[in-house]
Amino acid sequence: MPKTKKMAFMAVLTAIALGIFMLEAQLPSPVPVPGVKLGLANVITLAAICILGRGEAAAVLVMRILLGAVFAGSPSTLLFSAVGGAVAYALMCVLTALIPRERLYVTSALAAVGHNAGQLLACQLVVHTPGIWGYFPILGASGIITGLFTGIAAKYLLRSLDRSGLLDDK
Amino acid sequence: MNDKMKNLAWVLALLALALAGTVGFMLLRAKPSGGDIAVISVDGKELRRIDLGAVTEPYDIPVTTDWGSNTVHVERGGISVTESDCPDGICIRMGVLRAGGGLPIVCMPHRLVIRLEESDVYA
Repeated sequence: MPKTKKMAFMAVLTAIALGIFMLEAQLPSPVPVPGVKLGLANVITLAAICILGRGEAAAVLVMRILLGAVFAGSPSTLLFSAVGGAVAYALMCVLTALIPRERLYVTSALAAVGHNAGQLLACQLVVHTPGIWGYFPILGASGIITGLFTGIAAKYLLRSLDRSGLLDDK
Repeated sequence: MNDKMKNLAWVLALLALALAGTVGFMLLRAKPSGGDIAVISVDGKELRRIDLGAVTEPYDIPVTTDWGSNTVHVERGGISVTESDCPDGICIRMGVLRAGGGLPIVCMPHRLVIRLEESDVYA
């Protein structure tokens, strides 16, 4: 992919991810457990890793998290989403190399669990309460379900992108 | 194993894990710890320690820090967050933490944690 096109793609993906992230922040959480959310913006992170590459995806993710904290979050939650995002990103990088794209949902589900573990770790470092790990089983379960969902969404997004011809180098 | 079967196996394995997590969470939440002392802390620093068994009249404790404001309601045998200016309000919806057992009430944006002294499952 030419450099300019790549940059345009990164910008568009960042904008879309931020939009999804902010929209999701407006939805009330379905269960009263801290840290449970859909994580739909991860569809974009996954897609970015697959079509642009790891470095570019990292840039998109960092920009989304920073801008997301500015527009929809608080300085306090920035830390949790940054650590969670970093763990999930690392897992995505490793797993996309090991697991075929056909099973992107496996990568996505495991990355979501990693995200929740990272979040709890950051939270633990701040509040010094080991008891919050009691929430890990339910956070992990929610990560698996939402991760399956976002993984399937990412797979369809990639398929549509492939078919659209946008990714063809001309 | 063909591809469809493989997909099915993966999805079932992941769903089984999710189910195990949910069941584990429910067991953990119901686990009695015997603790009557509630500890309120912000940012890891202890603010107050309350013996829930010794409460005679219900009262409110305002907790205001740089992170935000919460109102903690104390009653005999239970403690809860009744007001909060955090964006999600999850701490309010977590309900009452009863003396004797339960997972901590957490307000992540405000770094507020209310736990029972013996409720630390891994402590």
